Amino acid sequence: MSSDMAETATAAPTELPPPEGNAWRIVLRVLFGRPATIFATILVALFILIAIFAPVLAPYDPLQQSALDINQDPSSAHWLGTDQFGRDIISRLIYGSRNSMIFGLLSPTLSAIFGTALGVIAGYFGGWTDRVLSRVIDMLLAFPELLLAILIAAVLGGGFWNVVFVITVAFIPGFARVARAATLAVKEEPYVEAAIAVGVRTPVIILRHVVPNIFPSVLVLLTLWTASAIRLEASLSFLGLGTQPPNPSWGNIIRDGLNNLFGSPWPIVGAGVAITIAVLAFNLIGDAVRDELDPELAE
Amino acid sequence: MSELLRVEGLSVEFGPKARPIRVVDDVSFAIPAGGAVGIVGESGSGKSITSLSILRLVPEPPGRIVAGRIMFEGRNLLELSKSALPAFRGRDVAMIFQEPMSSLNPVMTIGDQIGEAIKLHEPLSAAERRERVIELLRLVGMPDPASRIGAYPHQFSGGMRQRVMIAMAVACNPKLLIADEPTTALDVTIQAQVLELMKSVRQRLGTAVLLISHDLGIVAETCERVIVMYAGKVLEQGDVRSIFRRPAHPYTRGLLQSIPRLDDDRRRLFQIAGTVPMAGSVKRGCPFYARCPLRIEKCAAEMPPMFRYGADHVAACWVTAGETGAPVASAGAAA
Repeated sequence: MSSDMAETATAAPTELPPPEGNAWRIVLRVLFGRPATIFATILVALFILIAIFAPVLAPYDPLQQSALDINQDPSSAHWLGTDQFGRDIISRLIYGSRNSMIFGLLSPTLSAIFGTALGVIAGYFGGWTDRVLSRVIDMLLAFPELLLAILIAAVLGGGFWNVVFVITVAFIPGFARVARAATLAVKEEPYVEAAIAVGVRTPVIILRHVVPNIFPSVLVLLTLWTASAIRLEASLSFLGLGTQPPNPSWGNIIRDGLNNLFGSPWPIVGAGVAITIAVLAFNLIGDAVRDELDPELAE
Repeated sequence: MSELLRVEGLSVEFGPKARPIRVVDDVSFAIPAGGAVGIVGESGSGKSITSLSILRLVPEPPGRIVAGRIMFEGRNLLELSKSALPAFRGRDVAMIFQEPMSSLNPVMTIGDQIGEAIKLHEPLSAAERRERVIELLRLVGMPDPASRIGAYPHQFSGGMRQRVMIAMAVACNPKLLIADEPTTALDVTIQAQVLELMKSVRQRLGTAVLLISHDLGIVAETCERVIVMYAGKVLEQGDVRSIFRRPAHPYTRGLLQSIPRLDDDRRRLFQIAGTVPMAGSVKRGCPFYARCPLRIEKCAAEMPPMFRYGADHVAACWVTAGETGAPVASAGAAA
């Protein structure tokens, strides 16, 4: 090594910067940063636990009908009473949370993966690829999510995977648009040009340099849309296009309850409150994630 | 010294094909193996586009290389297929960019980023690669390289990031290192450190350097040859010594006069009158005509050829060539 080298080495600053908060720390800060989010986090955790342990927690079989116990008011035997078939409402709500949680978490995740892929491809390559993909996305965006979901569900019918597919497709355009916009910004960053200049090939540029840098935008959308997915599943099930009876879901509990409103209001009250709380809790967490990852939007 | 790179008649246009704007016009120069060549010019003179052309990084569209050859070790780089480019970039020619603050991916550790460059061009095991990265970081004067390998770019200052960029660029021992204003974004003391570092890396690895700068002082200190560009054209080029002692082109003279001197107590700094013409707005004659103190009628009508002022010193000026009786340099001998 030349003497120049020794000189520059000593002239360079030697103090280490303070260690940064690691990813786990950031997650904890998002989830427990404010009283409202702590509350929401606890609620979401509760919902997830209830969904997981439904067979243990539910006092009755949710499908078990009993002609002797129809339309009962809440009592110590049936905490929320029974419906027109004598089924225990709280058991149905507990089992129904499984559908809501699975659709709420699975569908937006799938949408995020496919939508991001489409958006990144459109944004990175530009030109005709972008024009074709963007027009398709615009076209899908022109339909409200619910309408789009109803259209597809009407063609495919109900059933678990069909509902997953329907909600996933309904959300793909939104993710694609956000991912495309973020990609357009990231691909102009000097580090992308620098990576190209050392000979990194296009697929690797996209996977290692573009996708990780647009991830925050996608994550914000993902958390905010978890609540929308729960709502969408409930709406579809309410319309008879989602989870099919007799399998319980918050949406079809309300639908069944509507036909029997004067027999017992409790199915509607119970499922309505459950949907409201779940959507609210997921939205609060979504807001917290957005504030953390995108401080400029925070009030 | 053998010749490493020769650019011949390079022309680059931007904008619609019907009304193209020529930002680089008939640029020719050569870089010897292990040599250091500087391109100086104001913003918009085409110096960055010239350097990006060598790596085929000119954004297409809107830009396109319309004429010329770039010969690198007997191959015309402009004829390389798109799929052959990644193998060539980084291994034969590497580049350091202007903004060290944003030229590193914020979500990758610097070790991974330097390692990525190595992984692309050399079959090494993960452990060997790690060793190599540490060695490179040591080469660029990173204190305690083994522990900094897992650090993220935001944990470094601008000067340190530029060192990381240099480590990344020289990771695969390129034969040519293009540095596009490598010190512009850094403060003066850090500038000196980075320039020293580039010099020592060059000496150790035998890498040729093409330095793009608007700072004549930096070029004089680091380079052996200088190319002066203005409005997309080369106006003067030659060895540093003769250009700085006896600048032949009025533009180069103006640039040298504009450098403030410590031993001079004039109150107003010298400046070249007027502004740089818009790219492509000069259709005929010398692009410096409008601002030139020595201009004659001929300058507006006809772009002067390269005249020879010394063994390695040519310039394109009717007036000073007439005064000194410099002969027209034969075509191709410009570099």
